[in-house]
Amino acid sequence: MFHQFGATADSLSKASTLVFRIGTDAHLYDDPDDVSIAPLLDSKFDSEKCEALKRLLALIAQGFDVSNYFPQVVKNVASQSLEVKKLVYLYLLHYAEKRPNEALLSINYFQKDLGDPNPLVRAWALRTMAGIRLHVVAPIVVVAVAKCARDPSVYVRKCAANALPKLHDLRLEENTGGIEEIVGILLNDNSPSVVGAAAAAFASVCPNNLNLIGRHYKKLCETLPDVEEWGQIVLIEILLRYVIARQGLVRESIMASPYSEYLDSEIDGPDRDFAVKEETNVVSIGAYQSQLLQMASKSYLEGPEKYLSQMNFEDKGAFQSGLPKFTSAKNDDVKILLQCTSPLLWSHNSAVILAAAGLHWIMAPKEDLRRIVKPLLFILRSSSASAYVALCNIQVFAKAMPSLFASYSEDFFICSSDTYQIKALKLEILSNIATESSIPVIFQEFQDYVRDSDRRFAADTVAAIGLCAQRLPNVANTCLEGLLALTIPQSLNNDTESSGGDSIVLIQAIISIRSIIKLDPPRHEKVIVHLVRTLDSIKVPTARAMVIRMMGEYNSSGHILPKMLTSVLTYLACCFTKEALETKLQILYAAVKVVLCARGDDLCASKKLLSYVLELAKCDINYDIRDRARVIRKLLTQYLFSFELVEEARYISESKNMSCLLAERLFLEKPKSMSTEPNNYRFYLPGSLSQIVLHAAPGYNPLPEPCSLTIGDSSFGSNIVKGGTHSDLYGVDDSERASGSSDDDSNSSDGSEISEAGSSGNDVGDESGSASEGDENTGLLINFSDVGNAAYANLNGNSEVNDPQSRPNDFGELMSNRALESWLDESPDSSRNAPESSSFQNSSARISVGSLSERVKPKSYTLLDTVNGNGLRVDYVFSSEMSSKSKFVCLEVSFKNCSNEPKEKILLFDEDIEGGQDNSEQALRTNESSSAPHNNDVKVIVPVEEIPCLEPGQSSKKIMEVHFHHHLLPIKLVLRCSGLKLPVKLWPDIGYFVKPLPMDDEEFFRKESQLRGMFEYNRRCTFIDHVRELKDEKGEISLVKDKFLVVCETLGLKMLSNANLSLISVDMPVTTNHDDVSGLCLRFACEILSNSMPCLITVTLRGNCSEPLNTTVKVNCEETVFGLNLLNKIVSFLAEPPL
Amino acid sequence: MLQCIFLLSDSGEVILEKQLTGHRVDRSICAWYWEHAMAQADTFKIELYQHLPAPVIASPTHYLFQIVRDNITFLACTQVEMPPLMAIEFLCRVADVLSDYLAGLNEDLIKDNFVIVYELLDEMIDNGFPLTTEPNILREMIAPPSIVGKMLSVVTGNSSNMSNTLPGATASCVPWRTTDLKHASNEVYVDLVEEMDAIINREGALVKCEIYGQVEVNSQLSGFPDLTLSFGNPSILNDVQFHPCVRFRPWESNQNLSFVPPDGQFKLMSYRIKKLKNTPIYVKPQLSSDAGTCRINVLVGIRNDPGKTIDSIEVQFQLPPCILSADLTSNHGTVNILANKTCCWSIGKIPKDKAPSLSGSMKLETGLERLHVSPIFQVSFKIMGVALSGLQIDNLDIKNLPARPYKGFRAVTRAGKYEVRS
Repeated sequence: MFHQFGATADSLSKASTLVFRIGTDAHLYDDPDDVSIAPLLDSKFDSEKCEALKRLLALIAQGFDVSNYFPQVVKNVASQSLEVKKLVYLYLLHYAEKRPNEALLSINYFQKDLGDPNPLVRAWALRTMAGIRLHVVAPIVVVAVAKCARDPSVYVRKCAANALPKLHDLRLEENTGGIEEIVGILLNDNSPSVVGAAAAAFASVCPNNLNLIGRHYKKLCETLPDVEEWGQIVLIEILLRYVIARQGLVRESIMASPYSEYLDSEIDGPDRDFAVKEETNVVSIGAYQSQLLQMASKSYLEGPEKYLSQMNFEDKGAFQSGLPKFTSAKNDDVKILLQCTSPLLWSHNSAVILAAAGLHWIMAPKEDLRRIVKPLLFILRSSSASAYVALCNIQVFAKAMPSLFASYSEDFFICSSDTYQIKALKLEILSNIATESSIPVIFQEFQDYVRDSDRRFAADTVAAIGLCAQRLPNVANTCLEGLLALTIPQSLNNDTESSGGDSIVLIQAIISIRSIIKLDPPRHEKVIVHLVRTLDSIKVPTARAMVIRMMGEYNSSGHILPKMLTSVLTYLACCFTKEALETKLQILYAAVKVVLCARGDDLCASKKLLSYVLELAKCDINYDIRDRARVIRKLLTQYLFSFELVEEARYISESKNMSCLLAERLFLEKPKSMSTEPNNYRFYLPGSLSQIVLHAAPGYNPLPEPCSLTIGDSSFGSNIVKGGTHSDLYGVDDSERASGSSDDDSNSSDGSEISEAGSSGNDVGDESGSASEGDENTGLLINFSDVGNAAYANLNGNSEVNDPQSRPNDFGELMSNRALESWLDESPDSSRNAPESSSFQNSSARISVGSLSERVKPKSYTLLDTVNGNGLRVDYVFSSEMSSKSKFVCLEVSFKNCSNEPKEKILLFDEDIEGGQDNSEQALRTNESSSAPHNNDVKVIVPVEEIPCLEPGQSSKKIMEVHFHHHLLPIKLVLRCSGLKLPVKLWPDIGYFVKPLPMDDEEFFRKESQLRGMFEYNRRCTFIDHVRELKDEKGEISLVKDKFLVVCETLGLKMLSNANLSLISVDMPVTTNHDDVSGLCLRFACEILSNSMPCLITVTLRGNCSEPLNTTVKVNCEETVFGLNLLNKIVSFLAEPPL
Repeated sequence: MLQCIFLLSDSGEVILEKQLTGHRVDRSICAWYWEHAMAQADTFKIELYQHLPAPVIASPTHYLFQIVRDNITFLACTQVEMPPLMAIEFLCRVADVLSDYLAGLNEDLIKDNFVIVYELLDEMIDNGFPLTTEPNILREMIAPPSIVGKMLSVVTGNSSNMSNTLPGATASCVPWRTTDLKHASNEVYVDLVEEMDAIINREGALVKCEIYGQVEVNSQLSGFPDLTLSFGNPSILNDVQFHPCVRFRPWESNQNLSFVPPDGQFKLMSYRIKKLKNTPIYVKPQLSSDAGTCRINVLVGIRNDPGKTIDSIEVQFQLPPCILSADLTSNHGTVNILANKTCCWSIGKIPKDKAPSLSGSMKLETGLERLHVSPIFQVSFKIMGVALSGLQIDNLDIKNLPARPYKGFRAVTRAGKYEVRS
């Protein structure tokens, strides 16, 4: 049934291995189920249990499903033998998710083991319990982890830290606060190895909660060298993020180079010396390099996707977002971090070296960057896999700053034992760092490589030579000589079939030659001539085609070439029939190009040749050639066959034949020089996976916004400390609570959370209650529901609807809006479920969105003002109404006559589709049928019916439906009024390219969890609307009105007035400080009109009620570009001051 | 973080899988990987060691990291961003630990000891994040298979290799050392193991010559000793890497290695010394080709006598694919041509009376007049008792030890990536 031995082992080694296999577990792996496992599991001897478990393990190893033994295995968790325990754990972890109910049986044993005096037992129990990953037991595990985080044994604490990401994976929204609390405790641990594990937990649980780091920053830096190597890798990145967010970028680092011109003006005093020194420094940066560096630094901060998309949409507005904040390398935080990470460059773990080098790359002053070079190069000597990753990163560094590696070229010389990928990377780096002084040695090397027996590598070398020549024009001639030499010997002794390897070298050589010639065609004329002369010996069709193409392209430049064109063309015409397809095509083109450029006698001869070639091509076996020949013939008929006439016509440009012009356009257009712009180059953070695979891997985060962590936040940090002590209390009494919840199962699965949130909710509720003196609309417990959909907000877990038993029923009731409304407005007594829950619901404020939606005032835009419109004023408002036709956006257009004369026949129509309704209807129809794909780009409006007459002062409103096709560019329309035609522009609003998508918040979370990683975008901004709201009503109402509510309302209103969304739910913060809204979170959902993809928006607030709030907007959307645009839009309108 | 680790045999068969997180990875990923690797090898028809896909690749569902050790492929998967070197470095550690435990690494050894492999993996990584990778601690937690242990298990039927207690080291501030060690004889050996990397180009010029060396320590010391190792000429060190036990401060200030050693064999430090001017031996290949045959002549001799005997000299080269047959003889040592067209000339020691040479002719593919690619000669040798870099150990100072220990120093130089192009 299974392979007894490796297929390659011969009988002798079989015999010898048999001897060695005695006493090992070999027989178990080979025949895992030769005995019945079940009775062994039930045996009372540990050794037999062990054997059975090993057999099961062997089956797992071989990929069999043995989950049917689960109940029997779980029983053995009670065994006292550690080996049995370990094996059971291994099995359990493999299948727990598959058999959740049986897995629950083991929980009691784990809890017992957690109290064991042996730390190993405690650690194992904790690891396994957390590894089971069942929602049901999660609360118990949280308690267990909290307890183990204070365990006397370092190992157990470390395991506790490792358990946190497992809990986080379960997405226990209710417990995040508690989990983060534990992370904070563990980060503050005395043992470096616990700190390392805590750092890893931090990175996966709450990577953005940098305040947590701020509290321990100094201590973390100091322990960094003692932390375990794996922890170091993670911790370095966290500290880097913290310093960037707290202090900003370092002025002296490469990250600042794109802003240098802005910074120079700021520099004064001692810094100025530095700036001067920098100019004379060896680190001189060319324009290309500085552009690359700018890209790199922007990409690090914003992520390349976003950066690139920004380049497309708001072209040079790069600095619009404002200058990132800078600090000096002398800043204490920066200094200590650089100090503590530099010894890590000596680590024996290559990942640590790379992480430390990456940090220095971003933070260290430019002149200190050299210290990362040697350690990076040392990695190349370790395993080839590590060398590959290191080289990928070095390649980026070398590209952005070649001077750094310029003197280390011999480290990139290639060994025959390198893998192909490493060779290719080294070649690219070499061609990047080559300088005038090092190029001779490098060329010497390249000459050796060209003779390597791996021809693919030899071809790459040839390409690298071409790159070197492009970078260093001074050596171009030497390169050309070498490359030309390559084209000859192979062509002498090879036929094309026998050496497929050599043909790629030859082709590559010609490609390289071509790219060098392109730099300065007239100077390299001789090279072309030489190539054309050797054409006969070049047998590889692609190479041949390329040479012919070059000849055609540069036929008029220089002196020698034009003279020999005719004879070459004759030669080519002769062998036309024997050529390969691509060569034939190029002969055809070259002939046309020559004819178009030729003068005098040559013209006559070449015309004859061309018509001869065309004749041949007409009868070619390949249809492509035939078709192309026919096209050329058609284009050039007059030109070719009426010799005299056209000769004249050439000189009279006015009468130049249309088709001739077209032909010249087609054939003589110089190919665009290959862009050396690094536009398509993507920078990700050094050392990241994304940098290797060159796309943003899910979970990739660019650096935080510089200085986004403000001083105000650190006071918020102290708030957390307060909160910490608060829930420390909860940590202390959690054991009883845990037992309570496990005893009382009727309480519901997440009973503990309910009681927790309930109790804290009560605290706050009491406070605000006392402040509000019995006002009905106050308190923390809010139901925020949307009229547009039947979803209801599920708040802190203690509103009545959260009661699990009542949930299904409520769903039924909630099906209609009216039911919801009435249910909300009626006293709780009328509801069947309400009484029991209302006991802990002091008061509840409800903003039914009915009232909110009444207050929604969409922004009005002016289409035409009275000045331009001759007294007619036209405004438009994006309406949240849905158009009857899918994909159409509704606009409410209001016309107002402000002049003294009546306006007649007012009509708004699309310019392209002249006037009539029929036409546009037709366009619409064709569009919908989408038979003509190019039509899709035409914007279509469903026109407003004509307003026959508008008296002075009269106004009229019309609904217009527009299809923007997701373009963010304005649509040009024409307004006809009293015979006048006025061009107007209709600006689209991306906020209305969507329609509300009602859902309940469970579905929201489910969708959100599907759209993580690269589909998730974050941006921060400041929200200030509520301040005025609160200030206006200062004195009388602020006492009565809940601040949270005001914030909620203003934010909700702002969102709903600017985009067509549906409000899904609101999370209220649980806090004792009723000024602190941190944690307030609103969720919205919508659906993209064009493709019905869901788009989820989460707005989270931080800060103090009465001050501007730090707002984080997160968009989850599969449609990346749309999502980013929507996010930008949301951020821009949120940051806008209120009207 | 890593989601799963697979061990694949040289035929692509999954030897075992270890799921690390709740996000299960299906085995089919291994089949995908293997097909991918094979497809690459087919497309380019290149050598076995070069057919591997890049160490980090994106499959349709996962990102894969892989290393290959002794024909065993260690494959790890993840779906989210993580430092790729962390994964690769970890896999290297796993391979190191396994080959240390199993005294070698091959398919059978892994299958025979799969329980230990599972236990080790479980201890080394938790939830996709490395947990305990220090070999000394692992040894205390899970006993390596030993002959005695095997015999015992055969006799008694009891085969527990799990320790019942947590190693004391996990709690101490030096996690690499057990707290209460007692050795009857206190000894410490320091070895300088150097590898010489060199490239000699076609013109016979020394393009690059550097030493990659390691300070290997075997310590059998009781208690909690504190060692200080100083070099006579630390300034020649180009770059260094340290074992975590080395304290950074003393090195920064006066380039002394101060450390509390782990027990047993470990690599204290690795270093690199660049820009050496001399190689101990010369290898001079000459190739001339004409009319379909290629004559080859290789001379080997001592260039700079290091003062000790140069041992196990071997010259290896790959015959270019366009060579059909070769007839090679030597006046000293043996010449073997292996199935994969690798020619292996083992010389051993260089005799006093004559210079070893290899000569012969090779037949080229039909239609090929001359050889236009040139083989690269890989040279290996070993010199006992000499560190060619010239690095000198000045002193080894041991504190905190009741008895006077025995201290021993050794040095050896081997050829690393030593290549002669022709």
